[in-house]
Amino acid sequence: MSVRALSGRVGDSVPRVESREKVTGTVEYIHHLELPRMLHGVIFRSAVPHGRIRRIDVAAAAAVPGVHRVVTIDDIRSVIPNPYYGPAFHDQPILADGKVRFAGEPVAVVLAADRHVAAEAAALITAEYDELPAVLDEVEAMTSDVMVHDELKPAVTFPDLKHLKGRRGTNVALDYRLRHGDPETAFATADHVFEHTFRTQQTMHTPMEPFVTVADVANGRATLHTASQGPSFVRIEIARLLGWPENRVRVRVPYLGGGFGGKLYIKLEALVTALSLLVGRPVKVALTMEEQFYMVTRHPCTFTIRSGVNADGRIVARTCKVVWNGGAYADIGPRVTQKAGFTSAGPYDIDHVAIDSCAVYTNRPPAGAFRGFGAPQTAWAYECHMDMIAAAMGLDPVAFRRKNLLRDGRPQASGTPTDDAALDIVLDDIERRMNWAAPFDRGSGRIRRGRGIAIGFKGITAPTTSVAIVNLYADGSCGLYISTVDMGQGSDTIMAQIAAEELDMDASLIRVVHPDTDVTPYDMGTLGSRSTFHMGNAVRRAAQDARSKIAALADELGLPPGSNLPLPEMLKKKYGMQAGNIIGTGSYIPDYEKPDTQTGRTRMGTPFWGVGGTGAEVEVDTETGELTITRLISVVDVGTAINPKLVQAQVSGAVIMQLGATTLEDMIYRDGHLTNGSLADYKIPTLLDIPRDFVNVHVDTEQRTGPFGAKGAGEISTIALSAAIGNALADAIGVHVLDLPLTPEKIFYALQAAGGRTVTGA
Amino acid sequence: MASFDLVEPRSLEEAIGLLDPEDPAVRPVGGGTALMLMMKAQIYKPQRLVCLRRLGGRLSGIAWDAAGSRFRIGALTTFAALEHSPEIAAHLPVVPRTMTTLANVRVRNVATVGGNIAHADPHLDLPPVWLSLGARVLVIGPAGERTLDVADVFAGYYETTLANDELIVALDVPVRPGWRSTYVKVTTRAQHDWPALGIALSAAVSGRVVTDLRLVLSAALDKPTRLVAAEAVLRGAEIDDAVLRRAGDAAVAETEIVTDSRGSADYKQHLLRVHLGRTVRSLMESGT
Repeated sequence: MSVRALSGRVGDSVPRVESREKVTGTVEYIHHLELPRMLHGVIFRSAVPHGRIRRIDVAAAAAVPGVHRVVTIDDIRSVIPNPYYGPAFHDQPILADGKVRFAGEPVAVVLAADRHVAAEAAALITAEYDELPAVLDEVEAMTSDVMVHDELKPAVTFPDLKHLKGRRGTNVALDYRLRHGDPETAFATADHVFEHTFRTQQTMHTPMEPFVTVADVANGRATLHTASQGPSFVRIEIARLLGWPENRVRVRVPYLGGGFGGKLYIKLEALVTALSLLVGRPVKVALTMEEQFYMVTRHPCTFTIRSGVNADGRIVARTCKVVWNGGAYADIGPRVTQKAGFTSAGPYDIDHVAIDSCAVYTNRPPAGAFRGFGAPQTAWAYECHMDMIAAAMGLDPVAFRRKNLLRDGRPQASGTPTDDAALDIVLDDIERRMNWAAPFDRGSGRIRRGRGIAIGFKGITAPTTSVAIVNLYADGSCGLYISTVDMGQGSDTIMAQIAAEELDMDASLIRVVHPDTDVTPYDMGTLGSRSTFHMGNAVRRAAQDARSKIAALADELGLPPGSNLPLPEMLKKKYGMQAGNIIGTGSYIPDYEKPDTQTGRTRMGTPFWGVGGTGAEVEVDTETGELTITRLISVVDVGTAINPKLVQAQVSGAVIMQLGATTLEDMIYRDGHLTNGSLADYKIPTLLDIPRDFVNVHVDTEQRTGPFGAKGAGEISTIALSAAIGNALADAIGVHVLDLPLTPEKIFYALQAAGGRTVTGA
Repeated sequence: MASFDLVEPRSLEEAIGLLDPEDPAVRPVGGGTALMLMMKAQIYKPQRLVCLRRLGGRLSGIAWDAAGSRFRIGALTTFAALEHSPEIAAHLPVVPRTMTTLANVRVRNVATVGGNIAHADPHLDLPPVWLSLGARVLVIGPAGERTLDVADVFAGYYETTLANDELIVALDVPVRPGWRSTYVKVTTRAQHDWPALGIALSAAVSGRVVTDLRLVLSAALDKPTRLVAAEAVLRGAEIDDAVLRRAGDAAVAETEIVTDSRGSADYKQHLLRVHLGRTVRSLMESGT
């Protein structure tokens, strides 16, 4: 008998375990789920951005044959007396409650056995509003008289928001501060001071699988089948809303058709649970692609950054004023504000830093987590700012960065050391791959060329917990019970590889049991590039626990030390037949120190650092403003890759997504109404938009606290991408565009305003 | 979506009989690629759809007329059939070239030539090409047949001059020896997008002179429109920068371009000037 090498170990680029099912169309998605007696809910939405509801007329809808019931907040309140939810603030009503806060907000739901009947009826609902003035811009909302909420209602689970409880007369939902040194004094003595203001726009996650939830509440139990990135959180929040213990709420999640942060915390689940509870039948709500624009988005951001720089190119002081447009409901926006605020001075070693990062309510659809968790918005500002300083001072942008870069674990502005953050390695690699030292032809005619680089980093949401169970069956095969959601990133494969490595078995013998809160243990959520690190560590510990139990069993059976009797034989010895299990459990929570509320200082503010750099080369048609990205190189630090091929897929996927936010995507409003809420008018990149020269790589490093040296990869290549392209554009045309997205029209008018270098018409 | 009747007549006469001159909720459907989206969005709620697919045999196909000077293309001919026709490729190469920028394989496999015209969406890519080629449509209604220029089918934004009980049955496309044609789809967002402008140009060229031409602008206007003033500047002129600039100015002056999500009116006027010049130059330089 030949000995076959075990496959699927750490470092192997094995194919994803679910590939065949996905390609053959047999994989389970909630959109396909039908339950007996199930009703479909279709949502009627607000037509005004801000207003008090005078009356909702549901009579015509209720009269449509086949309509089971039309539901408003009054009905919801009969089963859930306090129908407000949210991860950071309990500010979002299950349906509009007396007031609407954005155009598109759910106001009523029609339930019918036939979804088409429900849709037809929903179109017959009318509502009258006393319209209120609306505020859409984040900077305006800071000082506006228009109050989106009368009173702030922080959730108790976020102790750092406690001071905001009951606050009135403000739209500011979080005011994060970091203070390090004395920037004002340092500005006074710095050789140069630069200040710029950058803006990013509102974008949408656009998962190809729109939001969908099926709830079945019966016999004092609630079962939710939902496309969620955070089944454990959904269980906790639904239990809270119902006033039930967690063990009466079951949340199961099969595969997701994309999440990108949008499907986190609680979305449709509260509404659908309430509906099912109300009618005593299973209920499904499946959004259309168009409705997704009203669920959750990425924060627009206005960022004023000011730097004091000495003549030798050292940055001595920096202040960051960041305002995040959180839309009508906080969702996880306060955390985005805080976590992205934390790194908004960039990956530089600066002695004097002050950061103020504010989340504000506006009358837009809510903003929440979105691949990068705010880091791409802040890096757009701090990395374009770096190039603008370099240009003004006549410094090479790479050399200027290198001079100021955090290295050798030096503490970042908060005081947290930058251990295992390969900033210098990533910068060197980009420089090398871009052939930066070689002369670059910028062109002289109609087509101008430019190149740019950028580097950024992010902290990881902390402290968060993952729990894993390894179950070895009597035949030696293995089930891995985790609540990490495989939404396309390949976590099933990675976790099987980690368990296989620790258990010394073939990864194909490990079946990953999908999230089902009745079966799989707690996980904080599949978010923020945390799963490989946190769940990976938990899986490894569970496997180690299983191994020590096997050793104990060997001992119990009186086997000689070093015996290699296979587990099935051992279990047979113990139970007299093929029976029993070995169950290993493991949990992981990283070391963490809560930041000081006044100064934001902490010696351990993140379990690891995500580091990403981008190099871009572009061509600009100066007659039209058309921007062509000819070369795009993304380099990330993911520690040791568990599965290099999956890492590369994650890196390129995140790049393409951020490319959309950089050049195409923008939710555009007129009079408070979204004007382009469909894929016909809201364009995301297709294969045709991907640069010819497209490189996505990771550098070889080690995260010493990670499982087998690994850390997260999902978001990292989004961070520096926009700024690299913005810098390349500026290099080509001699002027920086400060607002995303970089559309041809914006570029054309920037050229016109700059004058000189444009060549007009034919 | 409420229930509706779907009928599949076997003859043209039967189809016309099933249409209703007064009721907009009764409509013919060819490939359905546009209508289905409108129904899904509840913009269009039919009472009765008259599906033409059983008429396909008579109404689809590509053939030369007796004189060999024009193609007759059946209204139910799919885009894919046009795209892959060797005859079309040889004599109207602008058509398969346009197909590569238009929708996707699945849509092209079912979308039909007649339905595309009847839809009258100003952003569609083929109508301006048909206008520039001087194509005519054959229409049948209760009163019999009539033919009209493709240009005369369009009355405005998603509006046609056809009666509700008339059907486009064929398209006649002249083949003009010595003429060259091109279509330029200008997108301002993703590469694959509806055009901000579509420019279709068919012209006879002699040396550096455009001896005759048909120039059409679509997408930026409520219907595809010949740019007659710009044509007048270019017709018979030796092409240089000054002529192209004057043609661009004329094109901007003769059209009312409005702001939309693909660009402001000012920017699109600028794009029209730039791309009109480029289109003419590239046609002059091309062999076909």
